[in-house]
Amino acid sequence: MPKIKTNRVKYPTGWELIEPTLRELEAKMREAENDTHDGKRKCEGLWPIFRIAHQKSRYIYDLYYRRKEISKELYEFCLEQGYGDRNLIAKWKKSGYERLCCLRCIQPRDHNFATTCVCRVPKHLREEKVIECVHCGCGGCASGD
Amino acid sequence: MAHRLLRDPEADGWERSDFPIICESCLGDNPYLRMTKANFDKECKICTRPFTVFRWRPGRDARYKKTEICQTCCKLKNVCQVCLLDLEYGLPVQVRDTALAINSNDSIPRSDVNREYFAEEHDRRSLLPGYIKVGLAFLSEMLSQCHAGDISWCIWVTWARAGIDYESSFGKARPNDTILKLQRTTPYYKRNRAHVCSFYVRGECTRGAECPYRHEMPITGELSQQNIKDRYYGNNDPVAMKLLNKAGEMPSLMPPDDESIKTLYVGGLDDRITEQDLRDHFYAHGEIESVRMVLQRACAFVTYTTREGAEKAAEELSNKLVIKGLRLKLLWGRSQIAKAELENHDDEAARQQALAHGAMLPRAVISQQHSQHIQLPGTLEQPPPMHYFNIPPPPLERGYYPSMDPQRMGALVPSQEGTGNAPSGSGENKSGSDKQPQVFPYHGMPPPQGQYPPFYPPYGYMPPPPPQHYQSYPYQHAMRPPAPHPTTHLYPAGAPGSSQNPPSGTPSSSENPPSGAPSSSQNPPSGAPSSSQIPPAGVVNASQS
Repeated sequence: MPKIKTNRVKYPTGWELIEPTLRELEAKMREAENDTHDGKRKCEGLWPIFRIAHQKSRYIYDLYYRRKEISKELYEFCLEQGYGDRNLIAKWKKSGYERLCCLRCIQPRDHNFATTCVCRVPKHLREEKVIECVHCGCGGCASGD
Repeated sequence: MAHRLLRDPEADGWERSDFPIICESCLGDNPYLRMTKANFDKECKICTRPFTVFRWRPGRDARYKKTEICQTCCKLKNVCQVCLLDLEYGLPVQVRDTALAINSNDSIPRSDVNREYFAEEHDRRSLLPGYIKVGLAFLSEMLSQCHAGDISWCIWVTWARAGIDYESSFGKARPNDTILKLQRTTPYYKRNRAHVCSFYVRGECTRGAECPYRHEMPITGELSQQNIKDRYYGNNDPVAMKLLNKAGEMPSLMPPDDESIKTLYVGGLDDRITEQDLRDHFYAHGEIESVRMVLQRACAFVTYTTREGAEKAAEELSNKLVIKGLRLKLLWGRSQIAKAELENHDDEAARQQALAHGAMLPRAVISQQHSQHIQLPGTLEQPPPMHYFNIPPPPLERGYYPSMDPQRMGALVPSQEGTGNAPSGSGENKSGSDKQPQVFPYHGMPPPQGQYPPFYPPYGYMPPPPPQHYQSYPYQHAMRPPAPHPTTHLYPAGAPGSSQNPPSGTPSSSENPPSGAPSSSQNPPSGAPSSSQIPPAGVVNASQS
């Protein structure tokens, strides 16, 4: 029986430059996944997951769109491999959503009055100056803040 | 209860409603309110049947509130679905029941089955159209009249059958004194604040500024031991105990010893309350001599013509004076002597400055000027009197200037005949007789003379020095007569020009000596209406409260 090659992934050029950072973020994610919920509120459990996912996507997005340091090939490769969230990055390209924290926070169907999350409200428009949104613990991700 | 799953909730009498039955405080001050509704979401904390839960945020710095008991339970006691306080008075059930001497409890069964049956029966009854209910009530009333001849007994029976049938009793049970004393007149939004953070209390709240709960230590004490069922049924409610104690201990107004005080102080006014409102409320207790509103201080002074009227009003209105939903403070006016002395000591300097002009005159002259309310050019620092009654000052005073008064510097003019052209001269007698109708334009009759014991201030007036430079008066400061320290008052009492505030205790007529007689007492021979500038009793309070 022929040996099945599991490692057929062909890494594009430049991968070795971004790999350590991505590995580090992966490790952090794994740690967050395995973390206990002790002493946390019910809604707080997923906050680290959301934050690290945001961080990874943001890294890739920055490298490609802002700093333009990686090739399109490598960028596509990262998204395909699941290092970044394609949908979240798609939102970041829209004006007004440049700093969006997570996709749940802009989902009107998930909110009581068909609105978005409180973290989407610009700071000068909201009464409570310090907030933590219930979905991802975001403290405010409106573009102007 | 498996059978419930198989049956139609409506048939089971589960509550489904479109709007909660809540009090104003729980609704909050925000006119743009968003509420969520969840059918059969929770069980009622009293009857444990499922009911429609509404949830909303009653204002900016409020926590989310939700309905806690079902509408059946809330209607049985006529309480708010959230705070369990009476919908009409905002008082705990126990306070209301004690005050109204009703017992809304014995009819509500406590055991599960009975309670459920009772609630369903009540719902069914309340589904009847209103007019049928009224008809039934009337019928039963008639019947019971035949039997017992007592309508109230019948009403009691109706209540006893289904808790309190508030719809039929509405307007019949008049709020009594206790309720009037205790009920809130405005919504109390402080009740909607966030709860105290329990983590903070234990010293382990890690959220810091993000924590939406209050970081305060809870107030412990008797009031913190509350229980929703006790509050609903009205037993052992610590809040009710406290309120009832408070009602019992509320001091009644002690009439002051000084029998000449017939003025009541009303505090806490705002611009919604007009003078007519005050009159309407106070007239029932006696004839009103005057009502003077001091808008700057948000208070008013009501003067009765008789002491009895004032006492009656103070007794009946104290602690429960509510006009247009505003709870007002009622106190007795203060003695005039006290006021005079107080002013004398306290703000003499300020007064002198305000009357810089007048300070050059002999004191008696000043007092006279003020009693006639001449607006000297120099004394305009004090605001011109406002005409509350919108009555233009009497024309007599119109063309009157200080220089036209021959007695101004204290010259001795035998009587008012001698004054001739000088309008209104300074004859105090004249001001006593002529001006009375102007001073009390709305009261028909001047206050009876006997009511005002002649009053001479202890400090007395020194006879003014003979006028030396009558004509040169205002401009020759060097000629200033050695004025005794002026004890003038900012509010001339019996001033005819101040017809807007008919003086409460300032009977110019009675205090002033009779006409031509240079009074026997310390009054200066000429035109110094001795103590007529003693302010009305009301002014005393104005400065006080």
